[in-house]
Amino acid sequence: MIVVKGLSKSFGKVTAIDAVSFSASDTRVTALLGPNGAGKSTTLRILAGVLRAGSGTAEIDGHEVHAEPDRVRASIGVLPHASGVYARLTARENVRYFGRLHGLSGESLESRIEALIDQFDMRTFADRRTKGFSQGQRVKVALARALVHNPRHVILDEPTNGLDVMATRALREIILGLRYAGCCVLFSSHIMQEVSNLCDDVIIIAGGRVRFTGDLAQLSDSAGHDDLEEAFVRIAGLDGAQT
Amino acid sequence: MSAFSIVLAKECIDNLRDRRTLMSSLSLALLGPLFFVGAMSLVLSEAIDDQDDAIRFSVLGTDHAPELIRYLESQNSEIGRIDPAHASDPRVLVRSGEHDLIVVIPENHGERLRSGQLSTFTIIYDSSELGSAPQRARRVERMLETWGRTVGVLRLQLRGIDPLLVQPLMVDSVDVASTSEQALKLLGMVPYFVLLGAFMGGFYLAIDTTAGEREQGSLEPLLSQPVSRAALVLGKIAATCTFTAMSLLLMLAGFYLGLPFVPLDRIGLELDFTLPNFAGIFLLMLPLTWFAAALLTVAATLAKTYKEAQTYLSFLIMVPTLPIVFTQLLGVEATIWMMLIPSLSQSILMTAFLTNDHIAWMDVLISMLSTGFLAVLLTMLAVNLYSRERVLG
Repeated sequence: MIVVKGLSKSFGKVTAIDAVSFSASDTRVTALLGPNGAGKSTTLRILAGVLRAGSGTAEIDGHEVHAEPDRVRASIGVLPHASGVYARLTARENVRYFGRLHGLSGESLESRIEALIDQFDMRTFADRRTKGFSQGQRVKVALARALVHNPRHVILDEPTNGLDVMATRALREIILGLRYAGCCVLFSSHIMQEVSNLCDDVIIIAGGRVRFTGDLAQLSDSAGHDDLEEAFVRIAGLDGAQT
Repeated sequence: MSAFSIVLAKECIDNLRDRRTLMSSLSLALLGPLFFVGAMSLVLSEAIDDQDDAIRFSVLGTDHAPELIRYLESQNSEIGRIDPAHASDPRVLVRSGEHDLIVVIPENHGERLRSGQLSTFTIIYDSSELGSAPQRARRVERMLETWGRTVGVLRLQLRGIDPLLVQPLMVDSVDVASTSEQALKLLGMVPYFVLLGAFMGGFYLAIDTTAGEREQGSLEPLLSQPVSRAALVLGKIAATCTFTAMSLLLMLAGFYLGLPFVPLDRIGLELDFTLPNFAGIFLLMLPLTWFAAALLTVAATLAKTYKEAQTYLSFLIMVPTLPIVFTQLLGVEATIWMMLIPSLSQSILMTAFLTNDHIAWMDVLISMLSTGFLAVLLTMLAVNLYSRERVLG
């Protein structure tokens, strides 16, 4: 369970997010939806503990991210925006490195890596150095790396960026698999279709503020529109002065 | 395994797999001593042309001055006679490399000598060619002048004039530099190479682990791991330090094997480059390898991009060589405050080790402690930089 209350963050004079509050439940996929520059990444980075909130709190299973950073980081798997992998390490070594940093080792680590390789269909490139990997292969490695310690909470920042149809499908399978395994999945996106295919709950964020929280049915109700994309555009205020 | 050793091991393996950067950082360590020994040997064997050796040159027109030739031969000269019948322009002979030093005696030399007229000799050599021709040309010139003076003195005496009348003064120059001081100057270049080599060894690793990691987008996932920033940064600096130390070790091994080949005995210098002395240098330099790693890491962390980091560090690795240049130029006496300065203290003490000079172990201790202290400060600064949000860029 991820609970965010009154989270604000400014970079100099620019306010990135302003009093953002929402929650994301276990066994559900929650989408953080918003146009570019809405504050999605900032919110997720605060949850991952790499940014410090100006005010407000972010709790994961009741543990405040900055009060107990290592405890929180141990229970979340993070795929940051445009996350890179080590080009001179193989896919397996990339995953192993993070596994070790989580305190895993020996047989339990190796069998976990094997399981991830199968799960993500990485067998053919698992022992190749990641230099020259396609974007889809890289995202798989980064995702396997983020999940190596079996986190209860998974935070994905625009995971489908740059992926082709097949890779996007594979990622969708992975995310649904995580939900069935009981995880709390929070991912950000700026594409409505992607969200409607996958998520249970939606948080719409625009201009650093939360505009909507609820499930998909509530979204179309509240916007008075069956077309979810149209609903999103209206709620995010993108049909007005903003483009 | 602790997070520190996990990061250290990963960064070392990562760097070892990068042949390009590995080659460029280690090539200096390997080529430095080779270059130094080669250049030094050349300089010593050329510049210190042994005065006792026979001097070799060619003469065109030996028949015009038989008594001069006899004099030259009595002065330990090996004269190659050029047959005037087959001789083309002597300049062409030198330029083509057939002869490297030719003295041309004019045809009418005998006549002019008898009638007391000025006779012009020409020495032809090519200073653009490698070799000892310029030095030998000066020696030949001196011999010819001595002969000319002797003839002049005889002429004056014949006319009953004191030869000293035409020589109102005499110059005697005395070089007080001892051979050991000369050697000190030459060996003073060794610390320059060793310091540069040590810093160079960590150059790419420092960038790869900081600005490089940020640019390839793996820094943010790394910072999201349940590992303290201090452990991450210490692991990264330790990896860089491993390579600065390795580069240093290679460099010292190169000099240990190479220096005995420098003909220092030609300037009357007997130096033993012993293993304990080189071990002493390594020990002395160890705090500096950490200092270098921490300094490079801090600078590369402050850079916004990989390219920017390369630019910063290219300048930065020159900085530790500056004190050496200053002390070399100004010839400063070693004082206690110099022992507080990283790179300066090491270069002074290293020279003492190399020249078998008396080692002030107190100075060694002060140097190691002060450099170590500054290295710790830089490490703390690096940890602090990584604890800020701005490290993500």
